[in-house]
Amino acid sequence: MLIPHPLLGLRDSQEFTYLGDANLMFRPDAAAENAEAAFCDYVFQRDNPAGVHRELWFHEQGDRSWLVVTRDTTTHEILGAELASNVKLGAAE
Amino acid sequence: MTNTVTDLTPITALGGTVARTEVCGALTISENTGLGLASLSLRAGQDTPAPFGLALPDVAKAVSMGNYAAFWTGRGQWMIEATGKAEMDFAAMLKAEVPECSVTEQTDGFTAFEIASSQGAGPIEALMNKLVNIDAKTFGPGQATRTGLEHMTVFLIRRAEDRLAVIGMRTLAGSLWHALAVAARRLED
Repeated sequence: MLIPHPLLGLRDSQEFTYLGDANLMFRPDAAAENAEAAFCDYVFQRDNPAGVHRELWFHEQGDRSWLVVTRDTTTHEILGAELASNVKLGAAE
Repeated sequence: MTNTVTDLTPITALGGTVARTEVCGALTISENTGLGLASLSLRAGQDTPAPFGLALPDVAKAVSMGNYAAFWTGRGQWMIEATGKAEMDFAAMLKAEVPECSVTEQTDGFTAFEIASSQGAGPIEALMNKLVNIDAKTFGPGQATRTGLEHMTVFLIRRAEDRLAVIGMRTLAGSLWHALAVAARRLED
C-alpha cells in the first residue's frame, strides 16, 4: 500500500505508523462547563464507518510528520493525504 | 610503559580501531568515521538561515559546499554534515553560526557508510532496488530522504551518480553494515 505524502510523494505504508480517527486532533476544552461529558466522548466514543474514514498516520521512518489520510475502510483505497498541521491550522481559522 | 586509566583506545561504531572498508565487485562500502553531524530546527516564524554559507535545501534535497553539507529531514529541519569534524564539538560550531535556531548534537547518534561505485550509477541503483522501497531512478544526485532499510530507519543521500551515503543509528551499525555488505556481495552473482 502506498500513501501519497503531500511533500514526499508516494511512500510505502510500512514507513508509517497508524494512530486512529483524525478527530483526535480536536481535544475538548477542559475549562468548558460540559468538559466531563465532552472528554468522555473524546476518549471512548469512536465512529466506525464502513466507507470513507479520515485518520492520523505518522511518517515515522520518513520526515516525522503527522498526516490526515482519507481511506475507504471497505476497499483500503487511499483517497488523499494532508499534513495534519495544515488541517489543524485550517480548522483554527 | 605503564598503563593508566587514560590509555584508552578509541573504537569506531563498528568496533574497530580503524574505519572498515569492503570491496564488493563494483561497490566499495566505507565507514565514514570522520563525519560530524548536528541537526538544525527552525522555531516558529523563523527565516531559513545559511550556516557556513550553505543554502539550506528544500524538501528531500541535499547540498554540499567544501567540508560542509546539509540535507532536508522535515519541515524546517535539516541535518548538517561536516567532513572530518566527528571528534570536535560540531554542534557548538553550528550553534555559533545560528544562535537563534535549535541545534542538537547528532554525531554520537548516527554512523555514516559511504558507498562508491566504480561502474557508474548502475550498481548503486541495483543495490537500492534490493534494499529500499524508494525509486532509484528518480533518486538522483542531490536527493536525500529518510526511509526504512531492513526495519532500521536510515537517511539516504545520493552524493553523486556513483555515490550513495547511508546514515543509520549508531547502535545498529553492525546490522546496517551486514545488510549493505550482504546485498552488495550478492549483486556480484
